[in-house]
Parts: sequence; C-alpha cells; structure tokens
Amino acid sequence: MALRELSSLEKFLGSNKPNKYRTQGDKKVPVLQNNKGRPVVGLVTIACHLAKEAKRPELVGDSAESRAVVQQWLEHRITKVDGCKKEDIKTILKDLDHYLQDKVYLAGNQFTLADIFMYYGIHPLIVDLVIQEKEQCVNVTRWFNHIQHYPGVRHHLPHIAILRNSIYSSRQH
Amino acid sequence: MAAGTLYTYQENWRAFKAQIAAQYSGARLKLASSPPAFTFGQTNRTPAFLSNFPLGKVPAYQGDDGFCLFESNAIAHYLSNDALRGATPQAAAQVLQWVSFADSEIIPSASTWVFPTLGIIQFNKQGTEQAKEGVKRALAVLNHHLTTRTFLVGERVSLADITVACSMLWLYKQVLEPSFRQPYPNVTRWFVTCVNQPQFKAVLGEVKLCEKMAQYDAKKFAEMQPKKETPAKKEKGGKEAAKPQEKKEKKKEEKKSAPQEEEMDDCEAVLAAEPKAKDPFADLPKSTFVMDEFKRKYSNEDTLKVALPFFWEHFDREGFSIWYCEYKYPQELTYTFMSCNLISGMYQRLDKLRKNAFASVLLFGSDNQSSISGIWVFRGQNLAFPLCPDWQIDYESYDWRKLDPNSEECKTMVKEYFAWEGDFKHVGKAFNQGKVFK
Repeated sequence: MALRELSSLEKFLGSNKPNKYRTQGDKKVPVLQNNKGRPVVGLVTIACHLAKEAKRPELVGDSAESRAVVQQWLEHRITKVDGCKKEDIKTILKDLDHYLQDKVYLAGNQFTLADIFMYYGIHPLIVDLVIQEKEQCVNVTRWFNHIQHYPGVRHHLPHIAILRNSIYSSRQH
Repeated sequence: MAAGTLYTYQENWRAFKAQIAAQYSGARLKLASSPPAFTFGQTNRTPAFLSNFPLGKVPAYQGDDGFCLFESNAIAHYLSNDALRGATPQAAAQVLQWVSFADSEIIPSASTWVFPTLGIIQFNKQGTEQAKEGVKRALAVLNHHLTTRTFLVGERVSLADITVACSMLWLYKQVLEPSFRQPYPNVTRWFVTCVNQPQFKAVLGEVKLCEKMAQYDAKKFAEMQPKKETPAKKEKGGKEAAKPQEKKEKKKEEKKSAPQEEEMDDCEAVLAAEPKAKDPFADLPKSTFVMDEFKRKYSNEDTLKVALPFFWEHFDREGFSIWYCEYKYPQELTYTFMSCNLISGMYQRLDKLRKNAFASVLLFGSDNQSSISGIWVFRGQNLAFPLCPDWQIDYESYDWRKLDPNSEECKTMVKEYFAWEGDFKHVGKAFNQGKVFK
C-alpha cells in the first residue's frame, strides 16, 4: 500500500527513474535506499524528502504555519486514518467534514502533500460509502472529488463517482 | 501566445480579470496604467485612442500585432488559454454563463451598494437596501452551486472563477462583514481560495476580507466631487441669502441624478469624479438670450411662425454670434448617408458645447455630388471651437464666415437654414437633408 502511494507520488513529481524501496517490521514501514547516505524511513519522511528532491517545496507548505499544518495532517493520516476501526470511520469523516467546511485544501490555500496522502488514506473509506452517506459529508466528498481530479494524483486508485446534486436533500441541514 | 498592452487606470477590477487570465495562460501583457504611457481622462480621449477604442473606456487591449479589443470580458477571454475558457463546448458555455452572471446579477447591485461607501456616488437608502437584497440573491445561488464544487466550472480554476471573484472583490473588501457572509460559507471558501492562488495574488496582492461593513461617508463623497460652480445669475440676493439656496439646488441636482447613478459603472464614476474642466465661456458677461428657451420653441413650434420671430426678438448681438460654415472638401463626399454621419459625428464630439450653441447644418445634392453647409449660433464673438481641446477635431475641415446679424444676407440664411427650406441661392444644389445641433 505505502509503496504504491510512493510510486504514485514519484509519477506526480515527474521523476524519471523510480527509487528503490524495501519495507521493515510487521507494519511494513517503507524504507528508501539511498546511495549517498543513510536510508530514509517512513512514509511521511520519504514523501517530504521526495518533494524537496523534486524542487517542489510548496508541496510541504509555503509558510511556517502551513508547513506545520501539512505535518499535522500527514501525522493524522498515519496514526488515525490508517488501520482505523469500523466504528471510528464516522468520527474521522465527520471531523474532516467540519474542518473542510471553509477550506478547499487541507493546508492553506494550496494543494500540498497533506491533500495527496489524506486522499490516498481516505480512499478506502469513501469507496464503501453509499450515496446517502456521501451526502452527509458533502465537504469531504467535494474535497475528495477535487483532489482525485487534480492532474497526476489518482494513479493507482480507482475513480469514485461523486454526485453533484443532492438526492437525499431532506437529510441535509 | 497573445502579447500586447492593456490600458487601464490603476486598481481597476475589470482590468484584473485580463491580468489574472494572462498570469494563468502566460500571455505577455504590458500594463499601461500610469503616465507617461497612459493618463486616465487624457490618453483615452485622444483621437488616436478613440479610433482604436471608440468608447474611450478602459480596460482596452492592443496587441503587439495591432489587434485591438475593448470590453474587459472579451480581453480576458482573448488572453486566456483553453483550460480557462473551458475545454469542452459544455464547459465553455458554463464559463460564459458565469461571466454573464457576474455582469448581470452581481455588478449592478454590488456597485449600488459599494460605491457610496467609497465616496464615488451619492448614497440612496432605498437603492442600497435593494442592492443588499440583490447581493444576497446572487450569494445564495453561488453558495448552493459551490456546496458540492470546489470551483465554478470543472475542477480547475477557469475564467468563470476569475470573473466572478473579481466582480466580488469590492464586496468582500468593503461591505461583506463576517455576520453578513456567514450564511454563505461555500462562497467565502471559494473566494478566499481563488484570491490566494499565486496567479491571483500576483495581480491582486493580499486581499483582506471586510471586518466591518463600510457605511456611506458623506465627507468622503464631498471631497471626491468636483466643486460645482453655481451660476451667479440665479442669485440676486445678498451672499447670505444665496447660501441656503445654493444648498437646495445641490440637493435637487443630486436627487435628480440618483436613478442614473445606479446604472453608472465605475469607469464612468471615475470619469465623473475627475475635476470638471472650467467652463470655457465663464469669462463672458451674462446674456439675455436664453438658448434653451429658443431651442424649445424651435423643437416644439412652427419654425417660420414662432421660432424665428422669437429668435430675432431675443437674440443678443453682444453675447452671441452667427456663423456660416461650409465643408472644405465637397469633392470627397460620396454617399449621402456617409456625409450625414460626418455631420452627426461632429455634433457628438461637440456634446459639451451644446449648452452654448445651436446649429443647423444641411446636406445638399445627391451621392457623389453633394456639399455641406450650415449656420451656427454660439456664445461669444469668436469661434468657440479653439476654447476647448475636445472641440477642435472637426472645425478645421470647414470654412467659417461670421455673419452680421443686421444684414439681409444673415436674415435670409438663418431663415433658410433653420427652416430647411428656401432657395439656397449660394449653394446651387437641391436640399437633401439636415441635422440640427440643439
């Protein structure tokens, strides 16, 4: 899973030759074999490293504040979204929905790694939602649809249809 | 890729649309917004500018290849790329839909509401209240649309977002305080995202959303308005008596013009806010001949029986003069309708002379063998045209002869030219049609 995400990120960044990865431990933490120095360990660390290598620092956040927010969401993805229990899904989506009410992107007004990796992480949750449930978190689905249409992001994941018109509008408030 | 110059005054939101589009598309756009490249109110009134942009309004675009465009939406469209314009016929139509929405649903209300807070136009309570409702309706539509969407059309920024966001710029900066915009969170989310995109920021700078709704500022309005020169002739009393009267007059004027102001766009508003040029006839002693009175008689009553006798009875030989003019190049006149346009074009360019002049200029003959001549009456004893640079475009194409009001020749000519009938002995061609400047 993590390795596929990293390979999608590489494609998004437009790097010509794929890096070599291995995994370590039970949780299959990705490790980037680096020729020059020590190996880079962990999804978030590798992702930030790749963005900097590709000279796309804005993907990590273009101000101190947004850098912090990007890190917060990457951490949220790893610790809360990954391997979440069924009963937590509702809370995760509800919180995210509330957060996205007045935002287009997770951090600042720019597309960042936070959007990419939250999109990858939340994809399996959205796949299982029925239309009615999607409508209940309209801000998440709006954001999700925008990110999955962002050029070069949705490499290894299937497209999820998002309806623009509410069908169960009476349930919305 | 388009490359050219955009003429505008500074901080013109209409020009922003084109500038932002160019940021996205990479079109090379030079900005002519300050002297010496462009002086608002002067450059846009020069014949060279008007021949390219007949409205004399900005923004106006001139490509390096000579291609000229006016109207901000057309310029922004031209400077866009396919992604901004909408790549499919459906998307392109949706973009056009939102561009039109901005012009017809947002701008009129937004202007009526915001301009008084900037001191550009007079405050009108009823107008402002109606405008607020109009803005609310537009916001509600946008808010609903943006519930499930990030941008207005498709998943990327398009000309629709650029146009609608720019048209709401003043609303968000001046009057949409947090409590007012609270019911429309999707619109604010979208707006904030748009204006913070690097391409928007490069043009708009930092956009700070309104904290507290700006109110009409009477003092600012007074400062922005040119001092009105109240004609002295209306006040016969002492200075103290004159003052309140002056105030009343001003109020009246403002009330009268209120409905028009709603229609006034900001380009015109800025034009209106410019200091008014001094009246070129201000130095002349006042005259007993009331031009308007005569014009009313001429328009509404029989020329020979009423208007002409009135003219000769009241005509002020000291304050006014009568001139005969003849077009210098009759050999160049071809179709009569074109010759007619020549006359009406001259009248149009002399619009500001209207108060102080009357003319009847006639076309004689037929296609390819015609001539133009006419009678002018205006204030003063000299030709009025050199008094103002705006009036000098046409008059040099005519020969001018001052007539002696007491002579028979003058009496005959005035009669024939005012009535559009008679022998016109000196012309030698049959009367074709006439145009009156009144």
